[in-house]
Amino acid sequence: MKINSSTWHLLWSILSYAPRLYLFDSLLWLFIMGLPLLPGLVIQEFFDTLTHRSQLNFSPLTLVVLLLFIGLARIAAIFAGRITKTQHRFTISSLIQRNLLATILERPGAEAFRSTSGQTLSPGEIMSYFRDDVAQIEDVVVGTNEIFAAGLFALVSLLILSRISLVLTLFAFLPILLIILLLHWAEGRIMHYRRTSRYATQQVTGLIIEMFSTIQAIQVAGAESSIIEQFRLRNDQRRRLMVRDQVFSSALNAGLENLVNLGIGFILFMVALGVARGDTGLTVGELTLFVYYLTFVTDFLAFLGTFVAAIQQTAVTFERLSELLPLSPHSLPNPSIESALEPHPLVVPAPLYLPNLNLPNLHWFNLHLPNLYSPNLHSQTPPLPTHPLPVPSLPLQYLTVDHLTYQYPDSDQGIFNISFTLTQGSLTVITGRVGSGKTTLLRVLLGLLPARSGSITWNHQRVIYPDRFFVPPRSAYTPQTPQLFSHTLRENLLLGLEIDESTLRRAIQLGVIEADITAMPDGLDTVIGTKGVRLSGGQQQRSAAVRMFVRQPELLVLDDLSSALDVETEQRLWSRLLRIRQLPQGEASHWQPTCLIVSHREAILQQANQVIVLEKGMIKEIIVR
Amino acid sequence: MALALQVYRNLLATYLQPQRKQVVWLAVMLFSSVGLQILNPQLLGFFIDTVTTSGNIQKLFLATFLFSGIAILVQILTVVTSYLGETVAWIATNALRLDLVQHCLCLDLSFHQFHPPGELLERVDGDVTILARFFSQLVIHVLGNALLLIGILFVLFLEDWRAGLSLSLFSLIAVSILLNLRSFAVLPWTHYRQMAAEFFGFLTEYLGGREDIRANGAISYVMHQFHQMLQRWLPIYQQARFASTVLWAISVGLFTFGNVIALAIAAYLWQQNAITIGTAYLIFHYTNLLQQPIERIREELEELQQVAASIQRIQELLATPAYTTATGQRIVPDGAISVRFDRVRFSYPTHEHPQTENPLPILQDLTFHLPAGQILGLLGHTGSGKSTIARLLLQFYDCQSGEIQVGDISIAQADRQQLRQRIGFVTQNIQLFQASVRDNLTFFNSSIQDSQILVILEEMGLQDWLRSLPHGLDTQLGADSSGLSAGQAQLLAFARVFLENPGLVILDEASSRLDPTTETQIERATERLLSGRTGIIIAHRIKTVQRADQILILEQGKVLEYGDRLALLRNPQSHFTRLSQFNTAIE
Repeated sequence: MKINSSTWHLLWSILSYAPRLYLFDSLLWLFIMGLPLLPGLVIQEFFDTLTHRSQLNFSPLTLVVLLLFIGLARIAAIFAGRITKTQHRFTISSLIQRNLLATILERPGAEAFRSTSGQTLSPGEIMSYFRDDVAQIEDVVVGTNEIFAAGLFALVSLLILSRISLVLTLFAFLPILLIILLLHWAEGRIMHYRRTSRYATQQVTGLIIEMFSTIQAIQVAGAESSIIEQFRLRNDQRRRLMVRDQVFSSALNAGLENLVNLGIGFILFMVALGVARGDTGLTVGELTLFVYYLTFVTDFLAFLGTFVAAIQQTAVTFERLSELLPLSPHSLPNPSIESALEPHPLVVPAPLYLPNLNLPNLHWFNLHLPNLYSPNLHSQTPPLPTHPLPVPSLPLQYLTVDHLTYQYPDSDQGIFNISFTLTQGSLTVITGRVGSGKTTLLRVLLGLLPARSGSITWNHQRVIYPDRFFVPPRSAYTPQTPQLFSHTLRENLLLGLEIDESTLRRAIQLGVIEADITAMPDGLDTVIGTKGVRLSGGQQQRSAAVRMFVRQPELLVLDDLSSALDVETEQRLWSRLLRIRQLPQGEASHWQPTCLIVSHREAILQQANQVIVLEKGMIKEIIVR
Repeated sequence: MALALQVYRNLLATYLQPQRKQVVWLAVMLFSSVGLQILNPQLLGFFIDTVTTSGNIQKLFLATFLFSGIAILVQILTVVTSYLGETVAWIATNALRLDLVQHCLCLDLSFHQFHPPGELLERVDGDVTILARFFSQLVIHVLGNALLLIGILFVLFLEDWRAGLSLSLFSLIAVSILLNLRSFAVLPWTHYRQMAAEFFGFLTEYLGGREDIRANGAISYVMHQFHQMLQRWLPIYQQARFASTVLWAISVGLFTFGNVIALAIAAYLWQQNAITIGTAYLIFHYTNLLQQPIERIREELEELQQVAASIQRIQELLATPAYTTATGQRIVPDGAISVRFDRVRFSYPTHEHPQTENPLPILQDLTFHLPAGQILGLLGHTGSGKSTIARLLLQFYDCQSGEIQVGDISIAQADRQQLRQRIGFVTQNIQLFQASVRDNLTFFNSSIQDSQILVILEEMGLQDWLRSLPHGLDTQLGADSSGLSAGQAQLLAFARVFLENPGLVILDEASSRLDPTTETQIERATERLLSGRTGIIIAHRIKTVQRADQILILEQGKVLEYGDRLALLRNPQSHFTRLSQFNTAIE
């Protein structure tokens, strides 16, 4: 595969994200890469002085002191350059990670990640995108100014050498042509090896994530040994492919170095030939310079080789990352002129709020060497923006669903031609057999799965992007297995929402979890563990319900809230919720949510205004009470 | 925070021992290339001297060809070394990965509650990958480069003792400075990797909850958290990299100093007419060559800082004890298993102090006896301790006092994995893999035949569902189990238990998510599952315990009522009778 223009375009966009930092960093790396050029000249002069062939006639001691100063200057450049480089590295990977996260969250929330081959991607695989692929891009992007500086000075050294002897320089660097051919030949292979070894790595990391996500099931089944056997198989596969990948790179590098050794051989050969013809040829100083600069050029070529390979790998990386980009209809790539001007979602120049580096002005160059142990490099940390206030809601009068259809990829399951209407303050229950499409219906309605056809109307206005529309304060949702996060219970309930304590307390009361919270060691500030595992199943469900209540949405969507609750608790929850719904307008709480829920409980079905019975993804009947 | 040499030695011994032969070959290759690298400059010096003095053409050509030949040989050795080194490293690190995974799989829920899968991935894969170079190259490179260093100094002594002495002194100082700074950057890098693990833990968790985040409008909250994390991470990253920069700068400084010494000595000896110009060049060239081993040793040591940080975390992980101390060997017998609890008292170990007891016991003085083949209905409020009984039976925890017997052997003496295989447990929380339907049912156990699976799926009434799948048993189930309803997931969990053929079945409110029709389907399957087996049904509802022989009602970890179900029903005063009436009224 060729590196296409879009790879260059993406790299360029990333480079232009922090131009000032990048320029400053590039300047410093010119010094770090270029300063080693000078000792070559000093040493040439040194040997010529010894053999009395010099035209400058410095004393050897002066030259030695000069060498010392060049070294010190380089050290200063290294300190400064590493700091800017670190800042740049972090900025670049943060930008890509931020954009990846933001675009992933943009996708329909219940839709599985799929690779271009149609395989679903596990969380472990997604994680390797964030970790390994981002690191790959970072390496290439921050390497650009290093390779530029190295190339520039390789060229300068060639110019200096050609002034000594053009013929010798040409002979010595003839092999460079071969290098270009070699790299061209290797291009396809590097890409192929890299892709397969990355895939094998994903197989391993994916399994690690899977086994620890399902640890309880594995332990309960006593299935540790067969899982480990599977892990061993995938490890072996990964080892074979990784070794092949890395040995190939190393052979390529060795090839490059050999071509340069051949170059030195050529020089010696030419000198020997000159001697045979009675020619005095090079001075010892010039010979030293040739050998010294050849290593210089070698290093550059080896660097170039790995860099070209890295760019090729980055092309693969971009290709893989694009798989994660949103596929919902409103962000499909559109061939219009406007969208061509929009930045690729991976490289949107979004603010990162990172602590700034104290960059001196470019025209007045002064270096502050930071304290060794606690470098205070950063001027200030920009404040994060506050959470956006919820948009005032249009009170719900009607919600109409018309011929809504969705089908799972590679499956004949889904929902088909679903139509119904919810009226303000009503309770609608969806029921039906296992696999009849109840959860799917809720997800498609909320835009968590992209509808294939049909429409949704809110108060006679069509909802075009349900995923953006169905959020608080219009609606809130508790899935069948709600996910909580490893923070305090309070954080989990609020998720950044700022409300007064009394609203929070009312919501907690409504969710029938007040007694549980009182019993917790730190009350609302109890840390609830990864995915909230320290809570019982029932507590998790009620917490998720409270999370929804604090948002006071117009529409409450609940997927089988009662599945882990005992009858008494569930009864209490429903009676409290129904009571709030029936309060007359103008009472203390004028929040009167409309409810759409999935349930089988007879008690709830009896209180519903409307019961929708699903069968095989279609409406079997609607019972209106 | 330098690690004891002992730790490194143990690691190397454990994981390199099985590949001794490859390691020896690796060493041979490295040492040969060291020898050739010392030899080659001699040819250059010889060449210079020949050019400036006699100009013997044949000698010049010979030197030229030898020089090129040796250079190419060195490169070939490099490729072979890289093959051997990579293979050794991957075999060793894969073995370590396996050990870590094996250990983590044995740790109980109290560990996994606080260590999300993303974080464990960073430990099992991230940290171990850093060790790869440690295994393949570190020791051999440090050794090989030390040898190169000594070889070069030896050759310098041969050229002129003053050059040899001064450059030896220089090397000694350089190496000792670098060695002293070795652990300088361990701590910053430890912090860095901790932060990385936290970051990836955060990402896994939030990406797993996309549905909740989107539909509850929490995207900006997640992004806020993300940015906060970055703000904390950057200074940590800067500090870690700065520590490494200090080492780099010191090495550049030392090397400059070395060159200065070499040139000064060469100039002095030349002026004293003690050496030829070729030798002057050689002194300079060899000093340059000294850079490679010193630089390499520095790099390895820099790597060692990260390696040490990784090893430390790996050791910590391996040292995490399981709360249960099960070392039993006794095998639970085939067929239905009896269960006996005798004055069992239990409270959850708190996270911070695993040894101290939680003041509130979850179970107090619990005693019951369930004969083989009978069914116990377990009732009680949320948090009354019902699920804890299952966890104790599965040996996720040890009880603090009293005794639990399974199949007439004390649970403390039972072989844990075999015990768990003999107990089928269906929870409210069904965990499915991102893998094929087959692997989800068999847990990757390839010895289970497809025909067995198909029979059981049919018994569960899942044949229609299976037919609707595009690739049958090979169909991949998504992590979000796309296209699979929670009810179907529960049926699959039942099928898993069937495949195990357990002697004791524990159902933890297993049918709660099912619609009435599917529930009937499950009821039938459950009946078949329980026949000839002992059963414990944990229920919130009376209806689910209708087939029980015994009833146990728990309240706050104590027995509120225990007895024969029919006997309890006959007694109008019993809690069970009252509960039954209450439930019939509302359901």
